[in-house]
Amino acid sequence: MKHFLKASLVLLLAGCYPQGPEYVEDTDVVYTTHDEKYTFSDKDTYARPDKIVMDVKIDNGDTTYEYMPDKFADQIFDKIDDNMTALGYDRIPLNGDTDPDLLLTPAALSSTTYFYSYWYDWWYGCYYGCGWGWYYPPYYTISSYTTGSMIITLTDPHSAENSPINRSQTVWVSAGNGLVNYAYDISRVLKSIDQAFKQSPYLTTK
Amino acid sequence: MKRLILTLTIAVAAVTFSKAQNSYVDFAYSIGFGTGDMGDFIKKASFRGITFDYRYAVQPNIAIGFNLGWNTFYEEKGSDSYTVDNATLTGKQYRYSNNVPMLATGTYLFSPDEFLCPYVALGVGTMYARRNTDMNLYTLEEEGWPFVLQPEVGLRLQAADNVGVLVNLKYLNGFKAGDFDSTQSYFTLNVGFAFH
Repeated sequence: MKHFLKASLVLLLAGCYPQGPEYVEDTDVVYTTHDEKYTFSDKDTYARPDKIVMDVKIDNGDTTYEYMPDKFADQIFDKIDDNMTALGYDRIPLNGDTDPDLLLTPAALSSTTYFYSYWYDWWYGCYYGCGWGWYYPPYYTISSYTTGSMIITLTDPHSAENSPINRSQTVWVSAGNGLVNYAYDISRVLKSIDQAFKQSPYLTTK
Repeated sequence: MKRLILTLTIAVAAVTFSKAQNSYVDFAYSIGFGTGDMGDFIKKASFRGITFDYRYAVQPNIAIGFNLGWNTFYEEKGSDSYTVDNATLTGKQYRYSNNVPMLATGTYLFSPDEFLCPYVALGVGTMYARRNTDMNLYTLEEEGWPFVLQPEVGLRLQAADNVGVLVNLKYLNGFKAGDFDSTQSYFTLNVGFAFH
């Protein structure tokens, strides 16, 4: 009877336990951080590549990049450029002849996590006395989830001169992250870019 | 099905505990209202709660016993930005607070053999308090076992020989402990069955 009471309570209480996120969008977060000592207000120009890196493959010492298809990348770049323009920056080409104040580098990454769980099927019966038990072997289930991240960084190319390891200083980092739903819809990514700039008012040159 | 399980559970427990005339057994549905730090964390009232009391009358007016309970507070926050130093994080938060008080109680019954029996009680003990802040796929978990003082006022209505209903108000005052650097407190309004 004790087991019955315990099981009844567990079932009863589990049934009314509150649920968390219902839709993949509910997992979306946007993280930004910046160098507090850095002054953005006296900067005017930025440059960026024309492609978005999605993966890097190194094979026998050869490095190759996998890029996002243009039809998606173009929408992302448009959104980034709109926000940078609104903050007062002018975009200039990225080549050896120009000297931008800031370099903007976007990257899109995905990561899949696999996990497994198992449970025993339980029984309650009366054969040689009543009791509870578990069937053997347990069931195993394997699941996975994939998260996507849109990372944008702003670096100051001039700061490499002052770096002991000749590296440019990253002055702003933005990371949008959420569960991937394979809907070929980048509206969530575009929304996260808008949010990243919205929560970083210190980027303004005005 | 749930209703059947609940009814069976209450019936079995009532028969088990209320055989002795000196015993008082209460099962109640519990509605919680967070105050102070807990109220700031979750503003919404909790409609997920249960409480159980056993009281043994050592004198006609005085009973000692124990109280067990469970109150789950939950609130889904809209998308918002949280800034710490130079970092800002924006997203939806899902906040949970689970509280399981375990208290020894002392009760004073004003009119133990009457149809209406008001009473006051004080509970002393601890509770398991766990707070989760879920964001993205991660959870920030805070735990503690605060020392608890719980004053209570209530009213028992003896509807039949040994069955009645009760309503009571408890203020669970949990002192700061574990991961919590301030008190964890809430009111509960409890309505349920009273066996005697």
